[in-house]
Amino acid sequence: MHDLLPFLPGSINNVLDSIPYFMPEFYLALLFVLVLVTDLLFGRDSKKLCRIIACAGILLVVHKDYQQIELLLFTGQANGHFFFSEMLLLTHTAVNFKLIVDVLAFILLLYFGWDDNLNEHPKGQSDLYSIVTGSVFGLHLMIMAVNLLSIYLAIEMVSIASYLMVAYQSENALSTESGLKYVLFGAAASAVMLYGISLLYAFTGSLNLFSGNLVTGLMHVNPVAVSFALILVFIGIGFKLSFVPVHFWVPDIYQGAPTPVTAWLSTLPKIAGFALLINFLRPFIFFQNWNAFDFRLFLEVISIITMIAGNFAAVLQKNVKRMLAYSSIGHTGFAMLAVVTFNAAGFSALTYYLAAYGIANICALALATYFTNVAGAVDMDGYRGLGLKYPAASVCFVIALVSLTGLPVSAGFTGKLFVFSAVYSFYQQTHNFILLVMMITGALITVVSLFYYIKIPLNLFIKRADVPVNSTAKSTEILILAVVLSILIILLGVFPDLLLKYF
Amino acid sequence: MNILTLIIFTPLLFGLIIALMPSRWRSSFKYVALLATLVQLAMSIWIYCNFKTGAAFGGINHETQFQFMQKLPWINLDLGAMGKMQIDYFVGIDGMSVSLLVMTSFVLVIAALSSWEIKSNLKGFFILFLILDMAVTGVFCSLDFFMFYIFYELMLLPLYFLIGMWGGAKREYAAIKFFLYTLFGSVFMLLIMVGLYLSVKDPVTGNHTFNMVQMMNPANYEPGSVFSVAAHQTIFGLSARAVGFVVLFVAFAIKVPVVPLHTWLPDAHVEAPTPISIILAGILLKVGGYGIIRVCLSIFPDIASSGAYWLGLLGVISIIYGAFNALAQKDLKRMIAYSSVSHMGFVLLGLASQTAEGISGAVMQMVSHGFLSTMLFFLAGVIYNRVHDRGINHFRGLASVMPNYTAFVIVAFFASLGLPGFSAFIGEIFSLTGAFKSHTVNGLLPYWMAACGSAGILIGAGYFLWTLQRMFFGTVNFKGGTVWQTALVDLNFREKLTLFPLAIMVLALGLMPSLVFYKINDSVLALVQFLQLK
Repeated sequence: MHDLLPFLPGSINNVLDSIPYFMPEFYLALLFVLVLVTDLLFGRDSKKLCRIIACAGILLVVHKDYQQIELLLFTGQANGHFFFSEMLLLTHTAVNFKLIVDVLAFILLLYFGWDDNLNEHPKGQSDLYSIVTGSVFGLHLMIMAVNLLSIYLAIEMVSIASYLMVAYQSENALSTESGLKYVLFGAAASAVMLYGISLLYAFTGSLNLFSGNLVTGLMHVNPVAVSFALILVFIGIGFKLSFVPVHFWVPDIYQGAPTPVTAWLSTLPKIAGFALLINFLRPFIFFQNWNAFDFRLFLEVISIITMIAGNFAAVLQKNVKRMLAYSSIGHTGFAMLAVVTFNAAGFSALTYYLAAYGIANICALALATYFTNVAGAVDMDGYRGLGLKYPAASVCFVIALVSLTGLPVSAGFTGKLFVFSAVYSFYQQTHNFILLVMMITGALITVVSLFYYIKIPLNLFIKRADVPVNSTAKSTEILILAVVLSILIILLGVFPDLLLKYF
Repeated sequence: MNILTLIIFTPLLFGLIIALMPSRWRSSFKYVALLATLVQLAMSIWIYCNFKTGAAFGGINHETQFQFMQKLPWINLDLGAMGKMQIDYFVGIDGMSVSLLVMTSFVLVIAALSSWEIKSNLKGFFILFLILDMAVTGVFCSLDFFMFYIFYELMLLPLYFLIGMWGGAKREYAAIKFFLYTLFGSVFMLLIMVGLYLSVKDPVTGNHTFNMVQMMNPANYEPGSVFSVAAHQTIFGLSARAVGFVVLFVAFAIKVPVVPLHTWLPDAHVEAPTPISIILAGILLKVGGYGIIRVCLSIFPDIASSGAYWLGLLGVISIIYGAFNALAQKDLKRMIAYSSVSHMGFVLLGLASQTAEGISGAVMQMVSHGFLSTMLFFLAGVIYNRVHDRGINHFRGLASVMPNYTAFVIVAFFASLGLPGFSAFIGEIFSLTGAFKSHTVNGLLPYWMAACGSAGILIGAGYFLWTLQRMFFGTVNFKGGTVWQTALVDLNFREKLTLFPLAIMVLALGLMPSLVFYKINDSVLALVQFLQLK
């Protein structure tokens, strides 16, 4: 104890100095407690109140995120700032990721209450709102974590929240089953990752990615052993990103989880996962003499396999959510194209692409909810002939799918264009053959993805229903949400500057 | 307000009006759509009349020589080390575009008139129709590659629904086949487009640019960039520029369509409802031909001349193969669809010759085929609407039942088979002259190609006359018996109103080809000169 005393003032100062950089998370933690307490105080009637508090709170957090950009610029630290004893790193890219996550979380919080299946749940939804706010806190940590310990903690925090959400409808067998599967797979993946982290620590005696001698230390270790440890860590990260071969959990869980939770799973942890991946790779990529493990090649190969596997598997699906699950795997592969470049242009393309993907995917899943609400349709066949009965929702669905396919005029198309141009300019510098193969795969899968995405418009508009649908159920709120998101998709397709200038 | 901007976005405005009109006014939607196309036609005629000619208005690779230009910054992004991204809203036309633009507006009016036959989901139909209208007009006016690509792709989705929702029995299959085929071509076009944009720098602003006119100047390429003329970069061991050319050519060749990439066409044309068949044959195929001129020839002139032999060969194959296929068809609409393949082959042959005659002939053939295929598909639609059958063998002696109809069919058939005095004759003869001349002028095409092309005309005469004989002459004998005989009434006023101007146009262009040639000549000469410079 006495030995530590001289360090104590320094540590305390470090913590105190770090707090300004931690304001959004501080507010999130407060929000979490607030929602939790509201739920406890008001009991069963607290649903609406919890939702209002959660939504308003997230908006406040968005505002705080925005202030962080000014904070970074004001203190002249555009390249980033380490805080909490170099546990976390705040960069401009990280703030962008946080903004995307929070805005999407806001949309999702609105959406949770409008899903009829979830609404009928006897437990109410108040718990869900506190879990979501807690998970957003974890996502923020994931985006900023640069120490193997904080990385692991952040991932676990998000994972535990996700387990709870997937199994939320515990009376529903399918939901319970997928929840259990998710817990088992997730626990195994984090155990594997933890093993990898412990190996890295054993090799070098350091957990800190940037300072300390983690990277230099690894240079002196047998490359095979290093590669093994790194691959174990990648399994953990990849589980969140759902790239092949750690994607196998995705279809079952996306299909079994309540639809809004699927929307949550397919966007937020994935987006934060990419931020984490960037942070994890950065010290290795920029270390001059690193030659133990070729990250670029690894990512390139994984990206190609993921694009192909995700998209071709999606072709065979009949269930809408399952199809979107496989397609989201394909999108992970495509987004990894941008990661491979590892330069500023690539990151800004990546953030834009992920934002566009997030909006379109949430829109598509919100509409899946809509059609389940109004017509009880879950399979493609159930969509037959609904297009003429619900024209507005169907047109929005087409717009969301156009964006996911990457056709103009939509945010997805501009995102794809930016990713391609980032990779192309990188190719012009390096003339790496695989980059070309990646781009060609990226172009080819657009055609493949059209093949399955078009099935929804096909069933909605072109196929005739065998039995006419006589449902009077309405779901106006979701429709409004979908219309707003669709307009946003087109607006970003025409004027990508609106968003991209911030990235 | 720029006239080209107006002409592009007028249909969108009218589409919005239809979207806002209540469904109980559905009977008036067709008038709104017709009004939109008429407004467009009026504007395009105004453009045609005010289009200046002379060596100073050649266009092609001189940005200042384009007319009715409008250039606004659209997407400007700072991409750090990569420099700045510059995408402009950039419209303008030269001789190549103006004739096709007028033809397009004209055909769209006809298509709107023939939409009278559509009876279900009118609101959706006309909104999609007008979006398609905007996209095709936009393609002919864009000078920025990004814009060009957006309009080019924007055609696909409306067409998918138009074929899929209002088409014939096999409409699902035809619609998805069309969509996948064209998308396959254009996704790779996207890659080449991005590559070009990263290779080219605007000399004024120093930014990377999508400006097509800048892409035509070899001096604007960054040294060492992928598509630089001087750098001789390779992709997979092949010359990068050759790969770029081939990929872009395939994308447009699918649209034209060039054999062997034509297989979507018979399905799509046959299954589509008449107005959409008209747009497909009359306009969409020209988008492919126009793309080859504006993009393939102009941005890659070096490859275009070294590969001219292959372009010419593909043209000849399309002519002959299309014609033989047409000869074998039993369905009237399918026969017409294959005749389109054959006729568009002349366009490719003329372009490959890279002579003033050949290129003028190619443009003329495109304009002429725009009117003629419109007429042919409309005529096929007329009997299909009456008896829901198009089998050539199912009709005999139509001439005595529907005399007016037969008169128009005879005009359309004779014009299509290249009878002197009609527009197709001019287009084909000029394309072939160019091909013949090519051997002595630039040595690109051998004589036999022109000779084989001429044989295509002969086969064309064969299938048109044979069809005429089988369906219209002889004693009256229908598959459907007396039911059909009562159903097959002669043309009504609207149909005559539609067909008459088409017949006049076809004849006028045949007798006064200068209507087209006068406007395009400077651009053709500029293009030939540019191609020779390389």
